[in-house]
Amino acid sequence: MHLKLKPIALAIGVSVAMTGMATAETMVFTAWGGSTQDAEYEAWGAPLTEESGVTILQDGPTDYGKFQAMVEAGSVTWDAVDVEFDFAYQAAEAGLLEPLDFSIIDRDAIDPRFVTDHAVVSFPFSFVLGYNTDTYGNAKPESWADLFDTEKFPGKRTFYKWSSPGALEIALLADGVAPEDLYPLDLDRAFAKLDTIKGDIVWWGGGAQSQQLIASGEAPIGMFWDIRLWPLQSSGLPIEIQWNGNLASADVLVIPKGSPNKDTAMKFLAIAASPEGQKRFMDIITAEDVEGGVAGSGKVQTLPEDGANQVTLGLEWWGENRNMVADRWYAWQAQ
Amino acid sequence: MTAANRPRLRRTGIGLALPAMLLLAIFFVVPVVSLLLRSVTEPDVGLQNYETLLATPTYAKIFWNTFMVASVVTTVTILLGYPVAWLLSILPARWAAIGFGIILLSMWTNLLARTYAWMVLLQSTGVINRSLQALGIIDEPLSLINNLTGVTIGMVYIMLPFFILPLQSTLRTIDPATLQAASLCGAGRWQAFWRVLLPLSVPGILSGGLIVFVMSLGYFVTPALLGGTSNMMLAELISQLVQSLLDWGLGGAAAFVLLVLTLALYAVQVHLFGTPGREA
Repeated sequence: MHLKLKPIALAIGVSVAMTGMATAETMVFTAWGGSTQDAEYEAWGAPLTEESGVTILQDGPTDYGKFQAMVEAGSVTWDAVDVEFDFAYQAAEAGLLEPLDFSIIDRDAIDPRFVTDHAVVSFPFSFVLGYNTDTYGNAKPESWADLFDTEKFPGKRTFYKWSSPGALEIALLADGVAPEDLYPLDLDRAFAKLDTIKGDIVWWGGGAQSQQLIASGEAPIGMFWDIRLWPLQSSGLPIEIQWNGNLASADVLVIPKGSPNKDTAMKFLAIAASPEGQKRFMDIITAEDVEGGVAGSGKVQTLPEDGANQVTLGLEWWGENRNMVADRWYAWQAQ
Repeated sequence: MTAANRPRLRRTGIGLALPAMLLLAIFFVVPVVSLLLRSVTEPDVGLQNYETLLATPTYAKIFWNTFMVASVVTTVTILLGYPVAWLLSILPARWAAIGFGIILLSMWTNLLARTYAWMVLLQSTGVINRSLQALGIIDEPLSLINNLTGVTIGMVYIMLPFFILPLQSTLRTIDPATLQAASLCGAGRWQAFWRVLLPLSVPGILSGGLIVFVMSLGYFVTPALLGGTSNMMLAELISQLVQSLLDWGLGGAAAFVLLVLTLALYAVQVHLFGTPGREA
């Protein structure tokens, strides 16, 4: 998940700390920072340390430019890195990633949508339609099409700012494209659909900003990360989730090519992607959400059993077309 | 100090400046040069990146945005900052110290926190709009954010100290007696300002204005948060290209063009008015 502009709260002196520790097994885990990275460390890093005495240092936030630069310079200081899935495809293609060792990582135990030869799931999430019931009262958006209906649901709507899987798919689904016909994306059609509400869009660049927009009612409806709406719900804010047509995606863990501690990192990935590791992580994340509100009053809406017509984002297509789409995305935004 | 020992002092000056120079050379000049090299070598050797940059309307618009925003911010900063700097230079020392304290305090607060605070104030459900609506002054909320207005307000606020401080140090050197002399010679207040004070303070305005303008050209956080996507500035584009799209070639080219334009502006200023901060 891409948390731009989050304050860098994590250790910076990693490379300094690493010198002189060559004897003990050690590795550096890099992610997007904030409470998500804390939970990741607690769920996967702490058990590894307990189990085999590995020292785990943390760095962040993930920065693809830095990632590429350290691989190309042959001085890699990151061992396990949390990245967006489409980047993982692109990076694997560009030779920036170590192939994973599936004798250590149990591939069969992982959701096949979220594992490749070079990446395993760190956390799955969905893009969902979120709305503020203070603003809309009893009116309930039923599908992505309602996000584009400014008569039924007036007001600003908020979308993810950066070129990324999600918004274009939402536009196409809202325009009546069947989920199975999404890829390759019809960009002209998607942008034409987005054009119909362009003047009403407020962009969010990071999770905190998205929360602020919907909670304040500044943009009472929009596309959100599900795990970012839960804390709002559990603290009693009038926020609801329409799961219909939610877009499933995942962040993944990768090992940069040339990682000095790739064997250790492999064990870290094995724990992270295991059902136990995934459960521990989710427990920590949701427990925090409940505590964040009035104890016990949190009514967090998680994905319904039937999946609510979940659509899986075409991350492989995105991996191949990432830069082409980005060119058009930013050109369209700047118009 | 006598004229005789000046050359020796100048030599020691070089010795003392060496560590800073070295630091700049290693950690600034070398990386910048290597980034610039990538702009003519990636993905192929040649000037394609520069062609793309100058021929694509989106990028042209971003260049225009950058210079337009920097100009607007600089102008507004000068207009708002000048009276403050003047006030600080004529206030009794104790009051001036409080004034400086307020200005510096704003600089010591985290930039991101300050920018988020502006979001809370400026948005259409924000403090300003809500208050104006409650007072019946406006019916519809004003658009103060996600546009040029938001960027200007947020950036001017951040830039003010960088203008006020250098200008104030110039103003302080102006002998108040010159103004007295002007009024004795029959100049009205405005005339004394236009014909005496303003011309004397030009060096301070220029050096402060230049700092603000150049800083604004490279600004990132505030435009990204308070501007709309149509207000994207170069720094944001460069970070997009390098951090997320791994297009070091095009990112390097954008950085180089920005650098050249900035240096050109600086050269023009030095040519016209001499080195800022130094008496002509």
